[in-house]
Amino acid sequence: MKGSTSYTRRATAVLAAIAVAAVAACSGSSSGPSDGSSKARIVWTTWGSAEDLQRFEDFNDEFMERHPDIEVVLQAVPSYGEYHPKLLAQLISGTAPDVFYLGDDNVGTFVDAGVLTPLDDLMNSSDSKATHDDFFDGLFGAAIEGGVTYGVPTDSNPDVLWYSKTALEAAGITDDPADLAARGEWTVDTFLDMMDALRDADMIGAIFWNYWATHYSWVSAYGGTAYDEQGRFVLADDETSVEALRVLGERFQDGSFRVADTMPEGAGASTSFVSHQAGFFVQGRYTIGTIRQAGEEEQFDIAPWPSVDGEPKPVGVAAAYLAINEATDHPEAAWTFFEEFVSAEGQEFRLSGGGNAVPSILGADDVVLDGYPEHAETFLQLRDNGFANYASEARVPGLSDDISAAMLRHYEGRVDLDETLATIVDLVENADMPDPADLADPEELDEAESTNGEDENDDDPDGEPSP
Amino acid sequence: MTPVAPRTQRPGPETGTRPVRPRVSGWRRRDRRWGLVFIGPQLFGMVAFVLLPLVAAMVLAFAETDGLRSFSWVGLTNFGDQLTDPLLWRAVLNTLGIAAITVPIGLSIAMVLATVLNRIRGRTVYLILIFAPGVTSLVAVSMIWQQLLRSNGILSSGIDLVPFLGRPDWLGDPRLVLISVSMVVVWSSLGLNVLLFLAGLQNIPPAVLEAARVDGAGPVRTFLRVIVPLQTPTLFFMTVVSVISSLQTFDIVFILTHEGGPDNASRTIVYHIYDLAFRRFEFGASSAAALLLLVLTLLITLAQFGLQRRLVHYES
Repeated sequence: MKGSTSYTRRATAVLAAIAVAAVAACSGSSSGPSDGSSKARIVWTTWGSAEDLQRFEDFNDEFMERHPDIEVVLQAVPSYGEYHPKLLAQLISGTAPDVFYLGDDNVGTFVDAGVLTPLDDLMNSSDSKATHDDFFDGLFGAAIEGGVTYGVPTDSNPDVLWYSKTALEAAGITDDPADLAARGEWTVDTFLDMMDALRDADMIGAIFWNYWATHYSWVSAYGGTAYDEQGRFVLADDETSVEALRVLGERFQDGSFRVADTMPEGAGASTSFVSHQAGFFVQGRYTIGTIRQAGEEEQFDIAPWPSVDGEPKPVGVAAAYLAINEATDHPEAAWTFFEEFVSAEGQEFRLSGGGNAVPSILGADDVVLDGYPEHAETFLQLRDNGFANYASEARVPGLSDDISAAMLRHYEGRVDLDETLATIVDLVENADMPDPADLADPEELDEAESTNGEDENDDDPDGEPSP
Repeated sequence: MTPVAPRTQRPGPETGTRPVRPRVSGWRRRDRRWGLVFIGPQLFGMVAFVLLPLVAAMVLAFAETDGLRSFSWVGLTNFGDQLTDPLLWRAVLNTLGIAAITVPIGLSIAMVLATVLNRIRGRTVYLILIFAPGVTSLVAVSMIWQQLLRSNGILSSGIDLVPFLGRPDWLGDPRLVLISVSMVVVWSSLGLNVLLFLAGLQNIPPAVLEAARVDGAGPVRTFLRVIVPLQTPTLFFMTVVSVISSLQTFDIVFILTHEGGPDNASRTIVYHIYDLAFRRFEFGASSAAALLLLVLTLLITLAQFGLQRRLVHYES
């Protein structure tokens, strides 16, 4: 009997060891410091290119020098497409990092899921390095729900119109888009005339990425909008917006506009642009890297989006958000890292030297105005006047992608505009959209009701929802 | 009348004896325990990674949940939604398309190759070469093929040299993408299929082949009339396995194409399940789709077993 008990115990011990090893192997928990010291260990995660991740590692090193009591570990996911599914799986299994990035098309879903730490009290504490008012209001998008802030834009990327002076010159275009914009003459008609000239010269007119900012910025350039102030989808009912989409679709179909996503490798968007086969490429500040690699920096510059009347209109600004896991074991250390990462100093560190984005916070604009491109201030103007993805849309996972897929079919001429709009309306109606009342600060809603629809100045920092 | 003996013999209260068990010697008992230790990890893995997820899927299929906080019972709604979702049907058609291309083509190539290898010297070398993709990670295989199938890759550039053919966009053209995926599936599964066929071929008694030769059957006739019928049990097993494997196609599509595209042309059922759960946070709908896939797999497998009686020849 004694022998059998011994074997049973041994067998149980082996099984237990295997189980513990298996569970330990599956865990990505951040609770304990790696060197057994009393340091708080903060794990954070993001996506990014090799250069981005190296810059983040440099930031970590600097941060740990300033805070020897905190160990910071970056868990990077190279691909944006796989980033949110992985983060979701980590949150479900309780192994999510303490601090994490969220894309503007996913932040709303994570806010709704209730897994993020409310940030207002932390941001507005007396010694905060990143108060709410320091950030540009239009960039918060779906990171605010019911007046509570759950995420902060780490930086931003307004799409500007990069143009090749060589290509324009080859097409016989003598006007400079940036100069036209400065004179208030940068209209849609002028832009479309340039498209005709480029097409006649056997060149691509303009290349766009197929995503929400492209469709909605073009609509906005015409004075239309996709969603009204209450967050209701109005794109298909607004004549101006429909007219804008009609022109956009026609230009894709006649070949003067191209969708970057579907251009073949080798003759892809970046290659076509830097080799002066395309007049314009609508992208963010990260284009600087591509141009520098190709050389001939002086042959490229940027202009804002044209508009129907030449006056600047708000355009879409891509943004990523930083959030703190509500279940973090080290809320204080997580906040310390968080505020330094998004602070003006943090953004300057990350974005200086031809960095890939535009600061989302006051006081760090110098990193953009470093002399390239010539009209670099356009980035700042578009950011200041821009809008993040509409909160109504960003709260529904996959909705922006589905709308873009429907638009792509239209751009490729496979589906006409009426059918496309019907599909999009169907997608929006079937989406489980949040109540508009949940999207805004309740006090702001009350104010809006009391002023009975009086226009608010979006650029006024005082109009920002107060926590 | 023969008296009927009681089926069980209860222990007599007067003796206090226990029911009689076959005697198991000490070393056998120890063996049994060590046996448990050895199958324990497998059992643990099976319960943790197969049975529990299956039960969880069965529960989640009747709920609406984002996997994090929200949860509400919705009855059969998820099944109804999925059965009327054009994306699911697109995924079903694509998946069946992959199975329809890869199973007959993959098995035919494997059978011919195995027959050839069975007759030549140095077949081990060839076998290792053919089997190599089978032991390579599907992720690595897919990434290599992604490079080959790029629109400026070696395959497209080669075809572009042929006049009038143009440069095919293997992964960007909705008409070609399913063929591209199937090509990679066939290539990556070829080694295992050849190996199994080869094992089957080596079980054919040489006397049978010799008899066919004496009767005047040529190589083709011997292959069609002797080898193929004798290989039907192997063929049946491999057809079942290949069809099930095709129905589960995911990793190759996930890496090779962009989000099941272009325009959902390479969206498979398992990709649809993944998309619902991890990109749209619809775990209930995803679980319902997973259970529908389970039913589809069972139906197809049962149909194959139904055909087995008529088509498979077992040598007595």
